[in-house]
Amino acid sequence: MTSRSASARWPRVLGFHAAALAVAAVFLVPGLWVVAASLRRPGLAPPTTIEWLPDPVAWSNYARVFEILPLARYLGNSLLVAGLAVPLTILVASWAGFAMAQLPPRARYALLALAVVVRMVPLTAVWLTRFLVLRELGLIDTILALLAPVWMGSSPFFVLIFYWAFRRQPAALFEAARLEGMGALRIWATIAMPLARPAVAAVALLTFVQYWSDFMNPLLYLKSDDRYTLALGLRVLQQLDATNWPLLMAGAVVMMLPVVLLLVVAQRAFWSATGPDRPGTGRRLGAV
Amino acid sequence: MRRLVLLVVTVVVLGVSASTAQPPSTRISFMVFGDIAEKAAYERLVADFAQHQPQIHVSLVHIPSQGDYRKRLGVDFAAGAPADIVLLNYRRYAAFAARGVLEPLGAYLERSAVIKEGDFYPQAMEPFRWQGALMCIPQNLSSLVVYYNRDLFERAGVPRPTDDWTWDDFLHAARALTRDTRGSGRIDQYGLGTEVSIFRVAPFVWQNGGELVDDPRAPTRLTLDAPLAREAVQWFVDLQVKHHVVPDLVEEKAESSERRFLNGRLGMFLNSRRGVPAYRTITSFDWDVAPLPRRRQRAGILHADAYCMPKAGHAKAAAWSFVEYANSLEGQRSIAASGRTVPSLRVLAESPAFLDPGFRPQSSRVFLTEVPFIRAVPVTEGWIDVEDLAGEELARAYYGRASVDEVIATAIQRAAPFFKGSARPRER
Amino acid sequence: MRRRGAGAGYRASLYLLLAPYLLGVVVLVIVPVALSAGLAFTAYDGLSAPEWRGLANFRELAGDPIFAIALRNSLVFVALTVPLRVAIALGLALLLNRPRRGVGLYRVAVYVPTIVPSVAYALIWLWIFNPRYGPLNLALASLGLPTPAWLIDSTTALPAIAMTALFQIGEGFVVVLAGLQHVPEEYYHASALDGAGRAATLRHITMPLLAPWLLLLTIRDVIVSAQSTFTPALLMTGGGPYYATLFVPLLMYETAFDRFRFGQGAAMMLLLLVVVGALILLAYRAAGGWGYEDEV
Repeated sequence: MTSRSASARWPRVLGFHAAALAVAAVFLVPGLWVVAASLRRPGLAPPTTIEWLPDPVAWSNYARVFEILPLARYLGNSLLVAGLAVPLTILVASWAGFAMAQLPPRARYALLALAVVVRMVPLTAVWLTRFLVLRELGLIDTILALLAPVWMGSSPFFVLIFYWAFRRQPAALFEAARLEGMGALRIWATIAMPLARPAVAAVALLTFVQYWSDFMNPLLYLKSDDRYTLALGLRVLQQLDATNWPLLMAGAVVMMLPVVLLLVVAQRAFWSATGPDRPGTGRRLGAV
Repeated sequence: MRRLVLLVVTVVVLGVSASTAQPPSTRISFMVFGDIAEKAAYERLVADFAQHQPQIHVSLVHIPSQGDYRKRLGVDFAAGAPADIVLLNYRRYAAFAARGVLEPLGAYLERSAVIKEGDFYPQAMEPFRWQGALMCIPQNLSSLVVYYNRDLFERAGVPRPTDDWTWDDFLHAARALTRDTRGSGRIDQYGLGTEVSIFRVAPFVWQNGGELVDDPRAPTRLTLDAPLAREAVQWFVDLQVKHHVVPDLVEEKAESSERRFLNGRLGMFLNSRRGVPAYRTITSFDWDVAPLPRRRQRAGILHADAYCMPKAGHAKAAAWSFVEYANSLEGQRSIAASGRTVPSLRVLAESPAFLDPGFRPQSSRVFLTEVPFIRAVPVTEGWIDVEDLAGEELARAYYGRASVDEVIATAIQRAAPFFKGSARPRER
Repeated sequence: MRRRGAGAGYRASLYLLLAPYLLGVVVLVIVPVALSAGLAFTAYDGLSAPEWRGLANFRELAGDPIFAIALRNSLVFVALTVPLRVAIALGLALLLNRPRRGVGLYRVAVYVPTIVPSVAYALIWLWIFNPRYGPLNLALASLGLPTPAWLIDSTTALPAIAMTALFQIGEGFVVVLAGLQHVPEEYYHASALDGAGRAATLRHITMPLLAPWLLLLTIRDVIVSAQSTFTPALLMTGGGPYYATLFVPLLMYETAFDRFRFGQGAAMMLLLLVVVGALILLAYRAAGGWGYEDEV
């Protein structure tokens, strides 16, 4: 940053914070509206002005949402799927990323191109025919159908995240380890992974969010009510009572709270692994 | 000696197990649609069946939305694993019967010692015959009735609906009940609410002397453009466009008509018997049912759901046991207790189990007096698509986006491919 | 930095580590895409065997007014959202790039809508857009501004859904931030020494260096926008009012799973992919290729 006189800096700092606060408000205020809406007593005539906090506050909406539907079971299913997906994804994606980072240039570029191309394929292009494939494998209505994407590291993006992380690690370490006769798996486990903690945290967060939020796959592949995930549960809630806004908002809050909290908690690792403030780019880490 | 003992023990064990042998437990699934209260009714039925035949375990699969129900069934058939018993409406089962995926139940009914065809209302049975064979066993038959909020009627000084009230009486009541009760300058209480669909308009068309199609047995075209039918459609559309006694589109999306009725902010709501379990949860006001208002003639419209068995089911005997039980006096009494059905078994429908005025609606007999005038919509493979498309067009006129003549013309044109004979090439 | 030639055994074990990922890609992406491409030329109802129909599916689609509406809606949606999303991501990244105090919190705020699950997100906006009671119209009314019917009016329904897409720019934001981080400090020092103001620095240094990242972002966004309309359309409008928000993915789902016409559904998807591919090629040509090469 070029040097400027202290007196000229203040307006710019204020200007920055004003602009940034305005942006943050635009992005966050709707969330406040939603929480307020979820606390209104259902059955009342709907409000005629924006309500920041209803009176009376109906915490019972949250209890009711769990009564109408087996939402607790759906939540458990979502947790199970997302919870299983995280370690499996990290395994497959980090293996693939590690292999790609270590292979000679030609193989590396071919795999990179593959990852980019696969990333471009939209879910809707494969969704239908994946149904047919999974049907042949007898996996319809099982948790395995929902977990199937872990086989490709859940997303080529995660493979790329690990690839970047491993490429940044000093090559000398790997050479030394190979000279000592360590195999690929051991190097991955004892050297590469411990150094890639930010990448692991980022992929863990993004994977959890991906499976937690997944709607299209459960919509197609799940049939039994007791296997439903939270995403399907919310949809069912909407179909049961399409204009019961307080209940629907309560359901939405239940679904989004865990991932928003996760983001807030894990954000530091997230930023450092996915781009900004990446170690090795020569910039100071952002203040939090 | 040891061998003798072994022999004796074996014989004893075999003998004991043979005499107390339980047939192995069979698991079947039963798929239904409906809201929460309806789901509870089916859960009770399943529980009662479990008492009756404990070795058959029935698991309930509940899909709240009718729209999704068809998709789900389609996916299930494609995945080769449909439920063992499926509840289907008479307007929707034909598509599946035509594809040959349903097991005809006529033979099962004939062999049954518990139920006989003659026990059921013929009006309920008839639509479920496909090309001569009985495909499903109907559990109910209901007409369209008017649910009304007694307290609102009293407060507004409007006389209660009589058994022979007319379209004009109906409109008059609706207007009297549409008001701005909070003085906010905006209407917050409407006199009437209804689903906007061809299925709701049909009885009014018939009452006016018009017809929906050219030949109900073998329809080739919608005939809503004929003068009497058109007049009825215009009257229906005018409820919103001209008289504003029903919520407009914005109001409907903000709070649905049915929810307004449940919350005591709607004077009358058109529905079949299906709504009763939910309406029985109302505590804040008194409600009852009245027959549809009449015009040139009386006419009601059939609502009937039936138990069907997919051919691909693996436990047909057990599935039939459940279907038989559900449609026996005991089973139908169980469901009727929830208020969900007008039983298709005549004996039961005409008994206090259904008619008892101690259970709301007090005037349940209204459902029975309508039976002789009930008519069914055509039962063809593509009928539900015809209804959907024509309904989309009707909604455009109802919410003031287009004129009645325009939408009728478009509806006829769009529905044309879905009538048998000129059906779209089906993927087969 | 060159690595010494890996021993054959080492190379083999690397490929072993790669195996699950490659297997997954084949079974979960390549095979289904190939199947899709094949199904597009058949009639398949999920029950009986597929029946070859050649180009008949495509000919039917060409004459189908509903498909034409869906395709038009999808293209309009892409044209509406992609430029805006890229611009917003760029603007926010420029604003929140420097590591000032508190910037982390602001960055998180920007990312929050992106992390909200799609089903919850759709229901939330359904409430916000409610013309009678939703907070958006209540806020507009209190400011004396007009209050459109949003999802209920066929002219504002599609723009409304497009608006919801403008808040979920987290991924793009991160990508542009990464690109900005790649601009070496020396460039900024040099331009400041030359006396260049901030606007000039932006135009002559930052933007050209960001160009490949922006191109990548645009391409990815075109693809995402073409298919991300499924959940919002399904939950918020069901494709209405009167097909105003019917997009190709939703139509494809209805065609395949409501009318049991998997072949035609696959044909629709193929057509959409072709159109999207053409758009991407256009974007690539317009940007004049990759330009500045960097290790991605």
